[in-house]
Amino acid sequence: MKIIYPILTAAALSVATMAAADPARQAIVDFYANAAGVTDFSAEGGKSLFETTQVGGQPDTNVCTACHGTNHTDTGRTRAGKTIEPMAVSANPARFTDLEKVEKWFRRNCDTVLGRQCTAHEKGNVIAYFSSL
Amino acid sequence: MADETLALTSAPAQSSDRRKPVRVPVWDRFVRLFHWSLAATIVVATATGFFAAAPRIDIHIWVGAAALGLVVARVIWGFLGPTHARFSDFATDRRTIFAHLSQIAAGKAERHRGHNPLGGAMVLALLGLIVAVAVTGVVVLGGVFKSGPLAFATSFTTGWNVRVIHELFSVALVVLIALHVAGVVFESWRTHENLARAMVDGRKEARPKDHASGMKGARPVTAIAIAGSLLAALGSLAWVSSARLPLGVPTAALDPTYAEECGDCHNAYHPTLLPRASWSALTAGLDDHFGENASLGPETTQRIASYLMANAAEAFDTKPANFFRQIDPLKSFTITATPFWTQTHRNIPTAVFDRTAVGVRGNCEACHTDAAQGRFYPGAIDIPSEATP
Repeated sequence: MKIIYPILTAAALSVATMAAADPARQAIVDFYANAAGVTDFSAEGGKSLFETTQVGGQPDTNVCTACHGTNHTDTGRTRAGKTIEPMAVSANPARFTDLEKVEKWFRRNCDTVLGRQCTAHEKGNVIAYFSSL
Repeated sequence: MADETLALTSAPAQSSDRRKPVRVPVWDRFVRLFHWSLAATIVVATATGFFAAAPRIDIHIWVGAAALGLVVARVIWGFLGPTHARFSDFATDRRTIFAHLSQIAAGKAERHRGHNPLGGAMVLALLGLIVAVAVTGVVVLGGVFKSGPLAFATSFTTGWNVRVIHELFSVALVVLIALHVAGVVFESWRTHENLARAMVDGRKEARPKDHASGMKGARPVTAIAIAGSLLAALGSLAWVSSARLPLGVPTAALDPTYAEECGDCHNAYHPTLLPRASWSALTAGLDDHFGENASLGPETTQRIASYLMANAAEAFDTKPANFFRQIDPLKSFTITATPFWTQTHRNIPTAVFDRTAVGVRGNCEACHTDAAQGRFYPGAIDIPSEATP
């Protein structure tokens, strides 16, 4: 009977780490956590930033979902007609695994949608949100 | 002499039924097959040339090539075939033609069992004009569309200018065909004989007062010389042409960095679709790229900029390169808003761009299967149909 405890513990640990299982993504999360001076990110905060209509950016694209769509396990579409791969990590395991790419798109898209750059805290929240889906 | 023999052999039949004179062979099987095949190819070539949509260009090219091939075969047959197929039977000088005309006007022209002088002149004019239309067509194909045997040696400007001559010749051909048909109708009425029917079954009435037409001997040496020199000329052209690339056509694949960075958001437009000045302004202003921030790191931007500069519209000689080179770089960078783009896409209904497989006007590759190569050959257009929901 005693053997059940280590198994349960292992199972619990693996569930907890599954969403951020990719070490490359974990490194990016850690990078933003360090930059923001926080230990934890809020998936709720990420959802709110991503799905709320913003003021300050381009009127045509004043919300992230304008191009990414509202179903994050499905593809989105740019204004020029190109397919955008799903944002949810469960549907697109390559999401948030390349810091250069992640930085490039936050730089461009935060400017386009919000008219400003996103903070490290906001970026971490967004990654937490899509890792939870 | 041949006519004498025919008249003699047909004598008994004539005496037995005076209203139905004997119909003797005039147009041999080759001439008849040639005539109606040529008529068919010219009808299709004219219809596709004047009215068909761009993707049908290959039909136009192949029926045009077939017409040229038929004419070449007819020319050789003109030195080999039976009497009335022979050039020496119907090719005459201007004096004979005018004499025949004035005889018609006076109502006392002879009846020719083969072509009369006017008809013979028409045959030569039609054959010559069809060769001229075909040859100018090959120049246009090579220069404008960078395809066919002359693509390696013909500039866009040459092709574009010769296009006007090709069109003028084509209109002249239609006029000549109308005159030819009018001539057949008139001569059928004048001689009380259906000449179109004669071109179907090959026979015409043998009449005692027919123009005396001597038996014409074949000239196999001339025929072989013509066939041989044509074969040698076409063979060497094919050999030279197949070993050379079309003039001024891009051959390199899209730069991978350009294709990836720019292709993330929109079709990676071929660099030949904008002049250098436009690319220069675009790459310098990526932080406000059609209302969006599309900035890249300085190294990537520099790399893409130099690729675009080296491969812009000025660097190549395709049709799109020639037209996009002329756009006002300060007016608009939107390729789909340029006069050339709107003009060439004017017949495409808006609904086509809304189709799932297309989505937006700038999705060149959706219809132009050779867009990534910068070719944009009309025959490579394949407009996707709407999938049924």
